[in-house]
Amino acid sequence: MKPPPFEYFAPASVKETLDLLREHGDQAKLLAGGQSLVPMLNFRLVRPGALIDLNGVPGLDGIREEPGMLRIGAMTRQRAVERSAVVRERCPLLAEAMPQIGHVQIRNRGTIGGSLVHADPAAELPAVVAALGGELIVRGAAGERTIAAADFFVGYLTTAVAADELLVAVRLPVAPPRAGHAFVEVSRRHGDFALVGVAVTVTLDGSGVCTSAAIAVTGVGPAPVVAADAVAALVGQRPATTAFEEAARRVSAQLEPHSDLHASAEYRKQVGGVLTRRALALASERAAGASR
Amino acid sequence: MSMAPARKYVSARIKRVEDPPLLMGKARYLSDITLGGMLTVGFVRSPHAHARIVRIDARAALAMPGVEAVLTGEQVRAFTQPIRAEMSGASYRSTDWAALAWPKARFVGEPVAAVVASDRYRVEDALDAVVVEYEPLPPVVDAEAAMTADAPRLHEQHPDNIIIQARYDNGETDRAFADAAITLRTTFRHGRCTSAPMEGRGVVASWDAADGTLTVWASTQAPHFTRAGLAAALDLPESRIRVIAPAIGGGFGPKMHVYPEDVTVCALARRLGRPVKWLEDRRENLLTSAQAREFVAQAEVAADRDGTILAFRATFICDVGAYSVYPTTAALEPMTAAGIMPGPYRLRGYSYEAYGVATNKCPTGAYRGVGMAFATFVRERLVDMVAAACAVDPADVRRRSFFAQKDTPYTTASGIIVDSADPAGSLASVLDAAGYDGLRAEQRAAGNGRLRRGIGLCAYTEFTGMGSGTFRRRGMTQVSGYDAATVRVEPTGEVRAFLSAASQGQGHATTFAQVLADELGVPLAAVTIIEGDTERCPHGSGSFASRSMVVSGGALILAARKVRDKTLTIAAHMLEAAATDLVIDDGRIAVRGMASRAVTLADVARLAYRPASGTLPPGVDPALEATHHYDPPPATFSNGTHLAVVDVDIETGEVRIVRYVVGEDCGTMVNPMIVEGQLHGAVAQGIGNALYERIVHDDGGQPLTTSFMDYLLPTTMELPSVEVVHSETPPPGSVSGFKGMAEGGTIGAASAVANAVADALAPLGVEVRELPLAPDVLHRLIARAARDGTRA
Repeated sequence: MKPPPFEYFAPASVKETLDLLREHGDQAKLLAGGQSLVPMLNFRLVRPGALIDLNGVPGLDGIREEPGMLRIGAMTRQRAVERSAVVRERCPLLAEAMPQIGHVQIRNRGTIGGSLVHADPAAELPAVVAALGGELIVRGAAGERTIAAADFFVGYLTTAVAADELLVAVRLPVAPPRAGHAFVEVSRRHGDFALVGVAVTVTLDGSGVCTSAAIAVTGVGPAPVVAADAVAALVGQRPATTAFEEAARRVSAQLEPHSDLHASAEYRKQVGGVLTRRALALASERAAGASR
Repeated sequence: MSMAPARKYVSARIKRVEDPPLLMGKARYLSDITLGGMLTVGFVRSPHAHARIVRIDARAALAMPGVEAVLTGEQVRAFTQPIRAEMSGASYRSTDWAALAWPKARFVGEPVAAVVASDRYRVEDALDAVVVEYEPLPPVVDAEAAMTADAPRLHEQHPDNIIIQARYDNGETDRAFADAAITLRTTFRHGRCTSAPMEGRGVVASWDAADGTLTVWASTQAPHFTRAGLAAALDLPESRIRVIAPAIGGGFGPKMHVYPEDVTVCALARRLGRPVKWLEDRRENLLTSAQAREFVAQAEVAADRDGTILAFRATFICDVGAYSVYPTTAALEPMTAAGIMPGPYRLRGYSYEAYGVATNKCPTGAYRGVGMAFATFVRERLVDMVAAACAVDPADVRRRSFFAQKDTPYTTASGIIVDSADPAGSLASVLDAAGYDGLRAEQRAAGNGRLRRGIGLCAYTEFTGMGSGTFRRRGMTQVSGYDAATVRVEPTGEVRAFLSAASQGQGHATTFAQVLADELGVPLAAVTIIEGDTERCPHGSGSFASRSMVVSGGALILAARKVRDKTLTIAAHMLEAAATDLVIDDGRIAVRGMASRAVTLADVARLAYRPASGTLPPGVDPALEATHHYDPPPATFSNGTHLAVVDVDIETGEVRIVRYVVGEDCGTMVNPMIVEGQLHGAVAQGIGNALYERIVHDDGGQPLTTSFMDYLLPTTMELPSVEVVHSETPPPGSVSGFKGMAEGGTIGAASAVANAVADALAPLGVEVRELPLAPDVLHRLIARAARDGTRA
């Protein structure tokens, strides 16, 4: 459980980081909080030639309000997001997901960007960003580009970030009025990756009819599954058990999960539906509460 | 000769004296031991469950910076003997476990070659560079499959893979079944588990060429067994080996065994003439430290119409992995299960068949609750199934079916003698503490929503403090069975005791000090306990199978009494009084009723070690020291009752434990706080076995659970607060009144939780027959019951 040899770099600026990335290409690995990368190094599951440590790069962390959006720097520690009053108020879905990521010790080191770029198929943050339709801001030699969440999570542990690019921030839309949210998951133990997890938002109009909703499921495929078909079962209706059940049925039908040590594909498929129903009920209740 | 002083420290909740150095990072663990010129060892491990080793090319590894040596199985066999666990009895087949596998490897993770380098980083780089050519052989990874005639054979010298088999019938079983109103039969399975101590195994070895001695620091529970096992493997007399157990971060059983890595590290130290160190990492721990619990049992129960249990029949098939472990053998787990099966029940009939079967998996060995946890699961599930079949409350079935305290010593239907126990009293205390009737009322009121409430009971007996009589009966000839203590009052009056026990965190420095301080009538602070060194401590067995307080504790009391008697004799001479008129308290020996006519223990010690400073009584030898080797009665039994209350989410299969009550009777408690600490930890492990932990292999014998991401230990977030009800039924005529108690928590917890889950899901037609009960498993059982229910 010791890493193979690698060259270690501690750049002091984003530019220096991008230069190193260009030089080492796909031989390089970026070290953020290290909560996934360091164990993978110690198991020798990854053998980078160069380890580029972002912890000394200024300007990559912080939570900032922008018009209609919340911008979170990639190196912002998960614990900082969890404890942020702004996040709790503007982006309550993210706030609800945070304590379900690992344990406090992990969140103290783990970063928002690190988790998103690692793109573990059972991680919470990719589902949150997918449900909210967030934007990922990456920088390369040619400058900055913005990638929509739907295009960002490409596959198993794979994102649209190129080998010579760096994720610098994620932008998430702030919750509108009369909106509710829920993040529910089943994991073997507190802090484990989800066997299956569901992130939802529900927005109502003044008369209590659902105007928009989003559902993203984690742990059920190589990347978060966005359930547009299930959302269609809700929009234009007043939230009710039958609608939740129909949405749950559609989510279940859409999922094509894998089996692993901890749960079968069938389990994930069925429980994905159960959690969708529960999350929608909770989010709708909250949206109704927010409307009063 | 003299009355023991009143017990002042025993039974008191005294804070652990060993904790300050442990908590402040001052304790010295194996990893803290560094010797001049020391090298680090790592192991190339078989990636195949079963394979012939064709050739090993170490040239590239040897050329790497910092690499000092590479040793292969073909080389090491020239100067080591395989580890061979012996057992008397016709059905047992021993296995040869080589220091490094050659010519074939029998499980994934078995050491195949050793690399020695300057540090662990360089070792791991070089491990990658050792090229081993394997010829894969068909593996057998399932015990039942391994018993078939055409199964691949692990050990060619034997006709099949059955390492041990035994049959037993008390002669009444068939008649009891024939007379029974109710008989039920089912198959139970338990997943493979591992003990996962915080600190893995490890060895530091140093060879002194000048006097031909080997000093070994080992993370071991049994320094003398380690010495004996190493002596045999290294062809050295035991007197040439010193084994030291430093501070140890948990053992739970597996650290009582001797492993190939231990032998290889010692052989390397001797050959290289430099100290070498190997520390098991977590991956190695999950691959190679002795595992446990993997059983399948076909079991039957016979009962009267009122639920009174009459008889059991069981066939235990235990997957013992690739080798029979030293010194307890692969018989340990299946035979312990078979023997303990009757538990606290008064049975007419009991018969069993038990098999220990070799497979291409990590060897199994001692793990907290060995055999007992599984047999208890089988029995307590059957008892609940009888209760359901008769529509009688599970508590009533138990109460009706236990043997009575007045019938102790009670010979169970398996022939084991339970020296003392009050099973009905234990059950009553737990039901009372838990408010059982209220819990049942709450359960009824909770209704049939998505959360289902269940209440589970488990009653058990726990085999503890075994003497050589038990090991002789079981054929475990390499297990000494006794323990020893040397008690010495030093010339300046401090008291030190040297024990053959070896603490792994149980609190021996506190509990033995309590016992000794009471026996000698000295303040606790005057006493120091020393363990874990074959050169300083007398010969004995060590700490495993819940024996320390009974056996080493018994030795300590008996040695202390010799010292006390001598102290009184000398003091009587000094005070010109009769020894029988003296009282000892707080380090002072005074004439009864005359507090001013007194000497201190230090005064007596001074004279004992410097007889020229006065005169010793006629016929009394100098010095103040005694040793006692104590071989206790075959066993003393603790017993207990657990009660678990759970909520099961029937849509997700998640289980939450909402209440947990333990009734524990381990005789006289030395330190109730430490007893409770032991129970909390043991219950956690039992809950792990019930709900979370499982070593999983694929069909080719490849372990899939090689990190804590996949082998799931319960954390504080999953565990309930454990309420403990104590009762004390000391064994009659015992030296100490103590019984062992380290394992009861684990034995009881898995079954109590299993019964609670079964109780919660009974209305859905779900039956619990396997552990662990992961959400996926429960979800499948619930879905299947729903389908079956619809069909019916």
